[in-house]
Amino acid sequence: MQDKTDIEMAARLKRARVTALIAGGFAVSVFLLSIVQMLKV
Amino acid sequence: MAHAATHDHHDHHGAPKGFFQRWVMSTNHKDIGTLYLIFSLTMFFIGGAFAMVIRAELFKPGMQLVQPYFFNEMTTMHALVMIFGAIMPAFVGLANWMVPLMVGAPDMALPRMNNLSFWILPFAFFMLLSTLFMPGGGPAGGWTMYPPLSLQGESVAYVIFAIHLMGISSIMGAINIIATILNMRAPGMDLLKMPVFVWSWLITAFLLIAVMPVLAGAVTMLLTDKYFHTNFFNAAGGGDPVLFQHIFWFFGHPEVYIMILPAFGIISEIIPTFARKPIFGYRAMVFAIASIAFLSFIVWAHHMFAVGLPMGAEIFFMYATMLIAVPTGVKVFNWVSTMWGGSMTFETPMLFSIAFVILFTIGGFSGLMLALAPADFQYHDTYFVVAHFHYVLVTGAAFSIMAAAYYWIPKWSGHMYSETWGKIHFWSSVISVNVLFFPQHFLGLAGMPRRIPDYNVAFANFNMVSSIGGFWFGASQLIFLGVIIHCVFFSKKKAADRSWEGAKGLEWTVPSPAPFHTFDVPPVIHDDELAHGNTDH
Repeated sequence: MQDKTDIEMAARLKRARVTALIAGGFAVSVFLLSIVQMLKV
Repeated sequence: MAHAATHDHHDHHGAPKGFFQRWVMSTNHKDIGTLYLIFSLTMFFIGGAFAMVIRAELFKPGMQLVQPYFFNEMTTMHALVMIFGAIMPAFVGLANWMVPLMVGAPDMALPRMNNLSFWILPFAFFMLLSTLFMPGGGPAGGWTMYPPLSLQGESVAYVIFAIHLMGISSIMGAINIIATILNMRAPGMDLLKMPVFVWSWLITAFLLIAVMPVLAGAVTMLLTDKYFHTNFFNAAGGGDPVLFQHIFWFFGHPEVYIMILPAFGIISEIIPTFARKPIFGYRAMVFAIASIAFLSFIVWAHHMFAVGLPMGAEIFFMYATMLIAVPTGVKVFNWVSTMWGGSMTFETPMLFSIAFVILFTIGGFSGLMLALAPADFQYHDTYFVVAHFHYVLVTGAAFSIMAAAYYWIPKWSGHMYSETWGKIHFWSSVISVNVLFFPQHFLGLAGMPRRIPDYNVAFANFNMVSSIGGFWFGASQLIFLGVIIHCVFFSKKKAADRSWEGAKGLEWTVPSPAPFHTFDVPPVIHDDELAHGNTDH
């Protein structure tokens, strides 16, 4: 029972890291988009 | 109700013993939440001290106490410290403490990043505040940092680096909250069964990751304009200072909602508890928050009506702004409907919540007045605007944080606060805050500009009243500090696990104070005990 809980938690944490990477990637993209004008320099 | 599993199945380790290990190296959501709340309270008093300087200078017409440049530093720093140092960290602290407890998660999804998110902040604010002691002084061009004014002085690089750090901290905090809510909920805690506070924070976190990088981009371009001879915002070099305003307010308006959506969530937790009724229109409340968040992206230029926008843009942004009143009205009516017919009691959190509903609505109405483009030409940059946003941010955001502190402090500390002193704090605050800000509406309508250290004698009386209210409100917050310190360290009255009779939700199933580890085994959730009632009906 406990092992099952641990495995489920490990899977959740793995999914959470993927979510965080997507959210972080989105934030970085927005930053780059907001300074896109700098590319014109 | 949910069966609360509060201990680890492995070795039952508690909090680390050493101070350094416990607080500096912490990865525990409750400890990090406490750190955020202490930090925010400290910043609240520092920002409040700046406000006292402002109100003391404005007590009478003429120059009283400080030099004009220092006055401008105070208005700028007051805003930066209160927005980024007090209000936002307070909400992140509340999210850290309560979101895992409310969704049945053992901790935040990314505990080490959580530690980093917090510990960046003290360094950022140390750097920001240190600029006040630098040759040439700190930032004095207003928190909006419009160039070219904001590029004067030598502290620009420090201020911008501090803002970058705050932004990184906020973005990491938001990512953590999104990852936690989407992945760490206990089985059975479906998205549309989550408490409204959790929903409000999920939506706020999306706003944060969408707009904080825009602020970072804007200030990065300021930095290059100042030190690398670019001309993004320099008209002489072919740039456009108005472009900065567009970019800044594309961040700035959603930022306003970042500071109020979690407040909506808090009020939506407290009112059902003390009305002893499920929240009225749970789904409507959630969709209203989402609608407000969406609309916040398409109204930014209402801050710029006086800059010379094309007529079509003025009309679009005017109507889009007025549209926000619809979902906001849904929320206000639903809070009132929740109270309607309820078995209401008026403990301190409820008093602050009711004051929130009434006073935030006043701030909303003055916002509608400002949304009217032709009228805004009269109101723009006057004390009417100052009155408006202080009703939203003080009697709105700050009151909700105080309500939350009174509501959840029994769970945090294991003790009940002094209800008598809590009510004294409430009545003192709610009267003084109106003495402070209500006259500012009249000052603004009469034409008194904001951000000036001296003014026409015609404005003397209302300014004196406002300053008296300001000193009174400031002193009232010392009562708040006293109530908290007494509750945490000296109160003899133990808090029950379910500290309030009408409280529902997972956080009330764990002991008070909440143990160092909670929900290591996911709880079993029964719908009828959820704070908003059974949504399947």
